[in-house]
Amino acid sequence: MKALMITIAAAAAAMVPGSAMAQAASDTSTGQVVVNGNVARLCILGAPSRSTVDLGQMAATSGTRVGRIAVLGDQSVTLPNSFCNFAGSALTVQVTALVSTDASPVQPGFAKAVNYTASASNWALSPTAATSAASASGATPTATSTGATQPAPKIADVNVTLSGFTAPSDALLTAGTYNGLVVVTLGPAVGGGL
Amino acid sequence: MRKLILASAVLAAATATPVLAQTTTGTVTIDGSVAPRCLFTTSNAVINAGELALSGTGASAGKLDASKLDGQSRTLVGWCNGTASSMSVEALPVVNTTVTSAPPAGFDRVVNYTATATANSVNAADSSIVAGAGSPSTVGLFTGNVTVTLSGSSTPGAGLLIAGAYQGETRVTLAAAN
Repeated sequence: MKALMITIAAAAAAMVPGSAMAQAASDTSTGQVVVNGNVARLCILGAPSRSTVDLGQMAATSGTRVGRIAVLGDQSVTLPNSFCNFAGSALTVQVTALVSTDASPVQPGFAKAVNYTASASNWALSPTAATSAASASGATPTATSTGATQPAPKIADVNVTLSGFTAPSDALLTAGTYNGLVVVTLGPAVGGGL
Repeated sequence: MRKLILASAVLAAATATPVLAQTTTGTVTIDGSVAPRCLFTTSNAVINAGELALSGTGASAGKLDASKLDGQSRTLVGWCNGTASSMSVEALPVVNTTVTSAPPAGFDRVVNYTATATANSVNAADSSIVAGAGSPSTVGLFTGNVTVTLSGSSTPGAGLLIAGAYQGETRVTLAAAN
């Protein structure tokens, strides 16, 4: 019995090299080139469809409101193809009231500032809006607001609307040139990002 | 005279017999074989392409900077000892490993390219757009460099690349045959 077992073992051992030879006959070898790269977080706002919004004559020139702010229609500016390539971005709107460039002190009953609301939409679920609250003298003209977080990478036309033009205390507007400014910023939300 | 002739015949017979018994030949046959085989002796290389998106603020900002992959080349080293050995290439796309969800409209998270391997003055290529390896090319007997070059990089939608880390791979397979 022992002899038989030895014989079988020897036969099996003899078979192994033969199998190895059969595998070698179809031998393959694989090389690998790994390709690594990265894309940094990026937000771009498209060029404004209007770089300057000219409201023209802001005071009524006739009627019961003569000398006071007229009804000024909403103004729209589009920032086309704005995008962020990461999840967790937000719009920030900074609005600065229209303030007269005349540095003279404002007289009682008059104002040299026009407040308004700037609202940027089509980014997060709700628009981002900021309303200026300058005084009659034009002090504290700037307000800022940051909107909701956009949870995904997005490309869209950001629509900016200027509306609700008012004078402090609805006072008479002093004559002169008025300048205001809206700054829209697109970037990572606080605590946002990848 | 007759006696002399007979004596000569006997002598001839005596000398012939030892010659017939002297030569015999044995043969030892030696057999062996060498199986067809291929081997990469330098089987790995890395291409660090860096920032894949175009910078700036123009219309193409944030889209693929094709120059980051196109023209990139690395050299592997190997050999095949079979006359009918072949080489095939499989290009796997460069994919965003940070963000794995489907990209929103206008964005891409995949960079495709064509990889071409050259060995023994024979090329084999594959595009990562189509799954699987490209057609094998016969390289035969060779030992030396297997150069892998990338070209024709693109994104599926020509869109903006989603931020994150990207990784892909090109596999070159040498298959031995005689």
